[in-house]
Parts: sequence; C-alpha cells; structure tokens
Amino acid sequence: MTATPAQLPELSTPRAQVLLAVADDALISGHRSSHWTGVAPSLEEDLAFSTIAQDGINHADVWYQLLAESETDVAVATDLRAAVDALGLGRAPAAYRHAILCERPPRDFAFTLARHWAFERFDVVRLDVLADSIDPDIAAIATKLLHEARYHLEHADHWFARLSRAGDQPHERFAGALATALPEALGLFEPVDGEEEAIETGLFPVGHVALRSRWLEIVGVLLEEAGYGELVPGDEAATPREASGGRRGEHSPDFLDDVWPEMTALYRAHPDARW
Amino acid sequence: MTTTTLHAEVRRAVAAVPDPELPPVTIGMLGMIHHLDVDDDGEVTVELLPTFSGCPATEMIGRDVADAAREVDGVTAVTVRFRHDPPWTPDRIDEEGREQLRRFGIAPPGGPIAGAQRPDGRPTLPLAMTSAADPRPCPYCGSTETVRDAMFGPTPCRDVRFCRACDQPFEAFRS
Repeated sequence: MTATPAQLPELSTPRAQVLLAVADDALISGHRSSHWTGVAPSLEEDLAFSTIAQDGINHADVWYQLLAESETDVAVATDLRAAVDALGLGRAPAAYRHAILCERPPRDFAFTLARHWAFERFDVVRLDVLADSIDPDIAAIATKLLHEARYHLEHADHWFARLSRAGDQPHERFAGALATALPEALGLFEPVDGEEEAIETGLFPVGHVALRSRWLEIVGVLLEEAGYGELVPGDEAATPREASGGRRGEHSPDFLDDVWPEMTALYRAHPDARW
Repeated sequence: MTTTTLHAEVRRAVAAVPDPELPPVTIGMLGMIHHLDVDDDGEVTVELLPTFSGCPATEMIGRDVADAAREVDGVTAVTVRFRHDPPWTPDRIDEEGREQLRRFGIAPPGGPIAGAQRPDGRPTLPLAMTSAADPRPCPYCGSTETVRDAMFGPTPCRDVRFCRACDQPFEAFRS
C-alpha cells in the first residue's frame, strides 16, 4: 500500500508565511539544540539544552497546529497530528522559512552559547510584538510562549554574563564565537513574502526588518557593558551573503545536506506513521 | 436525567481526570477546563487549555478526558478540543492543586493574585512579573531558606531547588 502523506495547507498567504518563519526558527533551533543531548559539557547543560530543544520543537508544533487549523478547508480536527507532522516534516527544503543562523551546526560550546544568546534575545522581542497581534490566536500563543521563553533567555543571559566576566581566555573565546554568530544573526531580520501586508493588517505589528533596531538597541547595550563593544553590528551592516536568504527558502548545505535529511528521514520513509 | 444534572456529572468526571505525570493533581485542579457543554441529545463538547507547550502528556489528557466523559450515563457523543486563547498559565492552578503538588514533593507556583483580571479576554500574567528564580518554600519543611539549583529539571514544567534548612533537594513547578 502506498502511503498518502497528509495534505499541506495553503502556505502562500502572508499569515502563513509569517507563522512559518516563527515556527521554522523554533523547529530548526530545537533540532540543533538537541545535538547536546548526552554530550554536553556538564549534566546541567545536558538537561538545559535537551529541555530547550524539547521546548523549541514544541513551540513549532503549537504554531503548526494553528496553521493547520486555520488555513485548511479539510476537517483537520480529526487528524491534527498528521497535519502538524506534514507541516514540520513534509515540506521540501525550499519551503522552510527559518533564518540560516538557526541551521548552523553547534560547532563548539562557545558558538552554541553565542548563537543561543543572539537568538533568544531576538525570540523574546519578536514574541513580544506578536503578543500584540490583531489575530487573537497568534496573540494568545505568543503570550504563552513568551512566558516559557523567559527560562531560555535567563539561561542564555547567564552564560553571556559568566563568560564575558570570566577573564582572558573564556572572554576571548566567547568574543570569537560572537564575532561569527552576530553578523549571521542579521539574517533573522529579513522579511518573508507578503510581510508588508501582515504589518499593515496588524497581524505582525512590527515586521522582521523593523525588529532589527529593537534587537540592536538591547544587545548593543549588553555587548558594550560586557566589553564586546567592537562586535556590535552597525545600523547599516548587511547580512553576510552566506547567512542571507533563509526567509526566502534559500538554505545552506547545513540544512540541505544535514538537518533536513536527518530530521525528515523517518517521515519520508513512513509518511503515515502514527505515534 | 435533566441536562443540568448531566452537565454537573460530566463536569465532575472530566475534572477528576488525573495528570498522567502528576497523578495526585487533576486537570480540574490545574484549571485546564475552559468550557464544557452538554446539549439536549447528550452530546458533550469539552474545550481544554494545554499547559506547557512542551508537555508530552497533553494528547494523553485529551484522550483520558474523552474516555471519562463517555463513561457518564446519558452521554451519547464526546468532542474534545484544545484551544490556545486564553493561554494557560500556572496561576490557573487552584488552592487544592497547589496543596497536592506540595504533598507530592513539588513546590507549587503562586496562585492567582487577588484582584487580577482572569485571563478570559486579553491575558493578565501576574507571575510573569516576578523572577522565575524567586525562592519557594520547601515542600518538606516549609523553610524559605531555599535556592534554585538548576532552571531545567526532569520535565518542561519543573526546575530543581535545594533547601538549606533540611538539606533536601526538591523540584518546583515553574512559574
């Protein structure tokens, strides 16, 4: 018998594109965080990144549920799980809207923490804006996830403070990691297709592009205070080419040859599997 | 049986469904029931608020609720739905639920703040205004000489603390 994967909802609307950017950032960050399960430098960090991975994948799940419920004609209530799996695992790589920063491999623990900090600082700013969405479901979900994301941010800030104050070697090593992560983080602020419309209708009151200055204002101060002033991205700084394009579905080999094939292997082999 | 009686019975049965990971606590105590409707034909609709987004027990709870409602005499059909609006937050846990958590060895979060608006329209999240690291009384000895050891614990809803008064590690339900 040939398996029939669940149908994907209409994904070309501005609302779907915005929700995909939010959900895919969480899903792919979650997958990269899970890399540390079993091999983190300490038991506490193993638990931390495993929980952050679980949260990320489940935050994506909640957004996919919303997409599946609201953007399909078919009665998905009977098989919401299949619809969510199709969204998370049943799309071609070019249909994913996460920023390239999220798909980068963990490299070392310093880079993991630098990327984690840059991303969590962005995530709470974006969730805060989405909590004011005119769409009541988006606003409610963002409010709830913001509540949970506090723990991720606190964890990221804790490491940022600890490494930046720890003296020469850790301070320098973290500086090197930030020097890689921060320019790539600018790719988070690229718009999805139809974002202008989502901004005008109040669905996504402040778009990705304008979020950049809000994020910079916050991380800029923290970087300065930590002695990393020279690493603050400039107002006009462009996203490095290799870290740009994720929101348009243009991904790097880190996604195409690594995250995507591994993440979707089971689903592609058994699209009708039930858990 | 009148619809009102049936409604009360279904509500009682649904509210008594235990959390699979914390069996002394029921979904009624957790404040997960948003809306429950029984029509004249005995068809039941339950709207539940999922707790932590990373909670793997959510779907099991949905099935348990459907089973519990179906077992009530007079019920002909059951629909269980999860909804996102209003968002569930730990301040929905009632007094009994917090006491049960404490007895289970898990320090409960604070309850609703008096006078704060219930989150039926736009949510009010009083707990979000306090630090997640706020000291919690030890569930064993009641001392407030406690520290948070780790902000990530065995499940997405708990962190790990230590009581300096009785030298006991304990878990706390996240705020």
